[in-house]
Amino acid sequence: MSLNQSATSSAAARGGKPGASTRLLDAVQSIGLLFVIIIGGVILSFASPVFFTRINIENLLFSSTIVAIVAMGQAFVILIAGIDLSVGAVLALSSVLCVVLATEVGLPAGLAALLALGTGALVGFINGLNVTYLRIPALIATLAMMSVTRGIAFLISGGRNIAPVPSIYVDIQAWRIFGVPAVIIFTLLIGILAHFVLTRTRFGREIYATGGNAMAAQLAGIRTNRVTIAAYMISGLAAALGGLMITARLEAGAATAGFGYELIVISAVVIGGVSLFGGEGRISGVLLGVILLGLVQNAVNLLNVPPNYDYVVSGVVIAAAAALDVYRRRYVEAGLRRRTMMAKRDRAAAEKALRGSEVERNPRDATPAASQ
Amino acid sequence: MTVATSLAAPIVSRLMEVERPLLVADGVSKTFPGVIALDEVSFEVRAGEVNALVGENGAGKSTLIKLMAGYYAPDSGVIRVNGIVLEADPATAHRAGVATIHQDHHLVPSMTVAENIMLGHWPSRYGVISKREQLEHASRVIAQVAPDLSPEMLARRLSPAEGQLVEIARALSEDSQVLIMDEPTTSLSGKEIDQLFRVVDELKAKGLGIVFVSHWLEEVFRIADRVTVLRDGRLVGSEPASELDTDKVIHMMVGRGVDTVTTKSQAAGDIVLEVRNLNRIGVLDDVSLVVRAGEIVTLAGLVGAGRTELVNCIFGVDRYDSGEVLLENRPLPPGDPNAAIEAGIGLAPEDRRHQALIGNLSVMTNATLAVLKRIAPRGIISKERERAAFDKATRSVAVKMSSPNAPVSTLSGGNQQKVVLGRWLARNPKLLILDEPTKGIDVGAKVEISEIIVQLAAEGTAILIVSSEMPEVIALSDRVIVMRSGHVAGELGREAITPEAVMNLATTG
Repeated sequence: MSLNQSATSSAAARGGKPGASTRLLDAVQSIGLLFVIIIGGVILSFASPVFFTRINIENLLFSSTIVAIVAMGQAFVILIAGIDLSVGAVLALSSVLCVVLATEVGLPAGLAALLALGTGALVGFINGLNVTYLRIPALIATLAMMSVTRGIAFLISGGRNIAPVPSIYVDIQAWRIFGVPAVIIFTLLIGILAHFVLTRTRFGREIYATGGNAMAAQLAGIRTNRVTIAAYMISGLAAALGGLMITARLEAGAATAGFGYELIVISAVVIGGVSLFGGEGRISGVLLGVILLGLVQNAVNLLNVPPNYDYVVSGVVIAAAAALDVYRRRYVEAGLRRRTMMAKRDRAAAEKALRGSEVERNPRDATPAASQ
Repeated sequence: MTVATSLAAPIVSRLMEVERPLLVADGVSKTFPGVIALDEVSFEVRAGEVNALVGENGAGKSTLIKLMAGYYAPDSGVIRVNGIVLEADPATAHRAGVATIHQDHHLVPSMTVAENIMLGHWPSRYGVISKREQLEHASRVIAQVAPDLSPEMLARRLSPAEGQLVEIARALSEDSQVLIMDEPTTSLSGKEIDQLFRVVDELKAKGLGIVFVSHWLEEVFRIADRVTVLRDGRLVGSEPASELDTDKVIHMMVGRGVDTVTTKSQAAGDIVLEVRNLNRIGVLDDVSLVVRAGEIVTLAGLVGAGRTELVNCIFGVDRYDSGEVLLENRPLPPGDPNAAIEAGIGLAPEDRRHQALIGNLSVMTNATLAVLKRIAPRGIISKERERAAFDKATRSVAVKMSSPNAPVSTLSGGNQQKVVLGRWLARNPKLLILDEPTKGIDVGAKVEISEIIVQLAAEGTAILIVSSEMPEVIALSDRVIVMRSGHVAGELGREAITPEAVMNLATTG
């Protein structure tokens, strides 16, 4: 069949690698980020003798784990072209609940933690219902939910920090595996799981399809409403998990925890190359985005930048990353359009070009230019 | 009308005054990628004349309108309005005196009628708008077209008919001399049409030139002084309405050499799809039809006849108000595409890019999207099953691609359509609905897709096609159902399918 012929012949022309120009582009995005992180690290290690020490690196990663967990949940929502602003508040509610249920209600600590996670998923479920069946724009629905959830956290806690927390929370946080904090390894495992779900499962594919083109997905038999609700539930669950982690770190259940978290998390996801338009992005990118933000924070601390500059620096980094995303998109689209036009105008010539001068038109070459 | 030339001088000048061309398009051509939309078309709009522009879907009417309104510039040839040469700039066309009245009115809903009429030209002093002046001016023009309408009313509360009248008032307030009315009657009731036509008559008397685009020939003959027919981007003729009749115009619209029929006529099997008395208020009016196994049925009709809406209701994309859709005698729940798919229906929508394909995902992912459950037992995708499903999807449609992992958006239109077809073939559908299956596809791929359709029918699949391409309708169909304004205007068996018969039902049935 001509299908197999043309597929194999041009795959061969690319040195055996199957086409997948978007996948390549995603990879380029990740590599670009990695590059930025390494450059930043090198500069920092010259600027501060403390930076390249085991303690500092461990610290950087350790303090990034909460953002990483919440960001991975948020990534599911952004992949379906939604947004979840309630994550910071869910994190706070979970923090309050897991302590109150254990110390004041008297439930076992494990059960209290599970209930806090369940509450996070429930909030996500309601978010999902609001954006699907009630058709409230995600921005508004989750903004409202942010307010409600934060309010409930304050109502339950009465506004004060609740301490002490069950000792097991703090103990787990201190665990080490092969000398590495268990929390870091746990976060990586969650990352691997999320990556697997997105790339290798039916649900993952439904996420990409829904985010890439909801109408088309629905007409292909995908129940996009369910997929959307599930994505919000994952985000809620992840935020609640972040709440448990922050409780261990603060050694208190705090209704004020995670103020402004949603913006940090969304920034990390977008910096990591997940398109705000949905349907594009990878978990590895999200994790790199989180690390880049952590690096910025670390730099601010190490270089004794006055804390008030903190927000300004973060803001500039976020804007730069978003601009990069737009440019990347524009280049990809220009590349694709060029390809489509060529294919239309003269298929034979295009075929020939694919074999011969692949290098010239491959978006691989367009992207580094975009990411400068 | 050339009679005037031989008459005595004073009369000539008077006649010329009445029939002075306001707008002249001289041999204009316009090409879009892959399509010649207009091919050396000459066209005139004269003062005090209604020139009706008619033609099949895709004949070039829209392109000509857009050229006259300045949205595009012609590739060759010129359009002059009162001597001013139009370019690709709507503002120039506007200043030259061309105004377009759209079928769905383009008004700012949160502003009043008066504000809309004066849109962008609000009378103001030092930037402060004078409400009184605005009201006076607006009232003056409204009085000419819709004396009953309050200039203080918000535009969002206007009916479509009133909205059109306000647009006309706006054109008058700007001293426009050429009015382009693009299917102005589609959303109007009979009474509203009468009112619109009265206004058009008055405008004519004032010396405006009017271009009237309509699919409905009866209406054309009520209002037009001259009928201009386009076909396949070429001018077929422009004759005084008094010298034409419906039959002649239809013949001009379709009068191409008709290809001889290429398909088999085979015995149709059991009823696969049955639609009973389907109603959707304002869209579908008591539609009933059946499609049998192995049969190719085409829904013909003009744009806006309700064909896409009908197939969307069948597939569950849209809901309907009453009626029933049965697949193999079992009723389908309304508004549930998933149930339709499970029951064995596949839909290749007209707008592939927005409704069928997920552009950034790979060809393979797109082709296997409807069989996700099968390729992912227990939720985890099996590479082997995915590959097998993909091979099945593409077995009878040869998709030309650089790799199955290439984004589907890099394929040509024809190959994209094959991916959509393949997606359903992977499911062995009982009924395949194809909405304009060859739209935007080059000629070679068109033939391939037609062959796939015929092959599928031969294997027993019931096929329902929405098509506006007459040769395709004639070559493929076992039966043609013609729709007009949401109802079935008539049905033609294999022997009765002629372009004239179809067009006759579509325009008058």
